[in-house]
Amino acid sequence: MRRLLLILLLALPISAAEVRVSAAASLTDAVTEIADRYEARTGETIVLNFGASSILATQIVNGAPADLFISADEVQMNRVATVSRVALLSNRLVVVGVPLLKARRIAIANPEAVPAGVYAKQWMKQRGLWTVLAPKLIPTENVRGALAAVEAGNADAAIVYATDARIARRARVAEVINDGPPIVYPAAVLRDAENAAGAQRFLDFLRSHDAGAIFRRYGFLVK
Amino acid sequence: MTLVIDDLVVPLAHFDLQVTATMGARVTAIFGPSGAGKTSLLDAIAGLRALKSGRITFDDVVLSDLPARARRIGYVPQETALFPHLSVARNIRYGGRHHEHHVVEVLEIEHLLDRGVTALSGGEQKRVALARALLTAPRLLLLDEPLSGLDWPLRDRVMQFLQRVRDDFNVPMLYVTHDEEELAAIADEVVKLPIQPHSK
Amino acid sequence: MTDAAIIWFTVRMAALATGLLIPPALALALLLARGTWRGKSVIETLVALPLVMPPVATGLILLKLVPHSVVFTWRAVVIAMMVMSSPFIVRAARVAFENVNPRYEQIARTLGAHEPRVFFTITLPLALRGIAGGVVLGFARALGEFGATILVAGNIPGRTTTLAVAIYDRVQLGHDSAAWHLVAAGVIVAFVAILLSEKSTRRRA
Repeated sequence: MRRLLLILLLALPISAAEVRVSAAASLTDAVTEIADRYEARTGETIVLNFGASSILATQIVNGAPADLFISADEVQMNRVATVSRVALLSNRLVVVGVPLLKARRIAIANPEAVPAGVYAKQWMKQRGLWTVLAPKLIPTENVRGALAAVEAGNADAAIVYATDARIARRARVAEVINDGPPIVYPAAVLRDAENAAGAQRFLDFLRSHDAGAIFRRYGFLVK
Repeated sequence: MTLVIDDLVVPLAHFDLQVTATMGARVTAIFGPSGAGKTSLLDAIAGLRALKSGRITFDDVVLSDLPARARRIGYVPQETALFPHLSVARNIRYGGRHHEHHVVEVLEIEHLLDRGVTALSGGEQKRVALARALLTAPRLLLLDEPLSGLDWPLRDRVMQFLQRVRDDFNVPMLYVTHDEEELAAIADEVVKLPIQPHSK
Repeated sequence: MTDAAIIWFTVRMAALATGLLIPPALALALLLARGTWRGKSVIETLVALPLVMPPVATGLILLKLVPHSVVFTWRAVVIAMMVMSSPFIVRAARVAFENVNPRYEQIARTLGAHEPRVFFTITLPLALRGIAGGVVLGFARALGEFGATILVAGNIPGRTTTLAVAIYDRVQLGHDSAAWHLVAAGVIVAFVAILLSEKSTRRRA
C-alpha cells in the first residue's frame, strides 16, 4: 500500500510546471531581466521564446506550446485566442537624424508588417503628412535596418521607437512624436495554455511596480 | 568441360546478338571485328547482361539460371578494371585466395603485392587482373582482348603469361580477340562472330 | 547562455542532424542514381524543394507537420536542420554514385560478392570523396540554419537558440559587440570544420 502511494506521489507532476512565454523580440532584454527576478523570487521556471510578433502569433495559431503572449501590437494579438488580455506597455515614436520635414530620405521599418512602421504610417496619415512624405520613405526589414540606414548615411532620418533610438550609436533624436497613435503592447494568457495559472501569476508580476521599473529603465512606457 | 550456348539472344544497341555454340577446348577464341558484340557475349556469359532468351550451360550447371556472383566465372575485362582504391594484394584476394602462392608465382607479381594499382604498368595490370580472376578458382576464365593497349614488346611477354596460365591451371579460357596472330599463339578452337549481324 | 554554450549547442545539433541524415540520404541517392522507376521525378522534386523554397515557408510546413511535443524543443532544431541540409547530401551523393564506373561493381559481382558487399567495398569507397563534399556542405548549412528553425523550434535561450538566431537577435537589439563576438567565434568554428573535412578527404584520395 505504501509503495503504491509512493508511486502515485512520484507520478504527480510536482509543481515544477513551466510557464511558456512568447514575447516580442524588442522586449528581449527587459523581459529576460524580469523573468530572472521572478524565478529567483518564486522558484517557478519561465521559458522564454522571442521573435517577431507575427512569427510568434503564427506559431501559436499552429499549436505551438505557449501560455503567455506579449505582442508588439494589437494586430498580431488579435490572431490568437486569449482568456485575459491587458495593455501592458506603450512606447513613443521618435525621429532620429534630421527633423522630418528637412529630410530627403526617411527610413522606416516596413510599414505593412513591422509594428513600429505600421504606427509610423498611421501617424503620418492622421497628420496629413503621408502624401508629402511617402515618396521619401525607404522601408527596411526591421527597425535596426532603419537605424543602420541613418548611421550609414543612406537616409537622413528614421522614424523609430524611443526604445530603439537608445541603441543608435551616432544618430540623435531630432523630434519626439507626442501626438502619435496609441501604441500598445498587449499581453494575454492564451486560451490553449497548459499552465494558465502560472501564466496569470507571471502576468500579474509583469504589471507590478518592480517589473514596471525595469521596463521604464529600458525606455518603455508602462500602462 | 563443355560450355554450351543454346539459342542465345542478347539485345544490343543496334541489333540482337544471336549465338549458338558448343565450346570444349582448353582455349576457345571468339573472333570478330569490333562492334560484332564480342564483349556483350562475354558479359552475358558472366551474368552481367540480361538475355532475351536462350540458355548457357557449363557441363551440367545451367549458368543462365544463376546470378553473376554464383557462376564462378573469372573475368578479365578489356579495361582491366582493377579496383583503384585497393592495393594489389587486396585486389587479387577480393574473391578468394585459392592457390594464391602458385598464382602469384606463375604471374610473377610477388613484388607488386603492396603497391597501389594506379602506378602499375599496362602489363603488370593485366597480370594482376589475371591473378584476381584465378584466385576464385573459377570454372571458366573470360578474357576480353587481354593484349589490347599494350605495346609490342609487352604483348609477347603477356602472351607468355597467358600461355603459362593455360598450361599450369586447369581452367578453360574464352579468349576474345580480333587479331589473327593471337589466334595462332594460343587458341585451340575458334568461334567466329558473324560480320553481318541479324537486325532486330 | 554563454557564447561558448550557444556555439557548442549549435555544433552538437548540426552534427547530430548531419549524422542522422547520412544513411537515409545515401539510400535515397543510390535509388535515384540507379535506373528509372515510377515516381522518380516526384521524389527528385521533393528533394530539391528545401533548396528552392524560402526557409520560412519550409519552417511553416514543418510547424504543421511536427508533433506538438517536439515543437519548441531541440529535436525541432535537429529536424529543421535535417530538412534544410538534405538536398546537399542527397544530390552530392547521387552524383558521386553515378560517377562510379559500373564495371568495378560488375567485376566485384563476378568475384562472388553479394550486393551489400559490392556497395560497401566498391561503390561507397569510390563515391566517398563526392559524398564527403556533400556532407561538409550539409553540415555548414545546418550550422547556419535560421529561417526554418526559428519557426518550428522558436528562439528559446538555453533550449533552442542557435548561433545564427543569436547573432540576429543581438544585432536587432543593438548589442553590436556581443554580436561580433559570436560572429567571430562562428567563423572560427566554420573554419575548423572545413579544415578538418578537407584533411580527411585528402587522406582518402
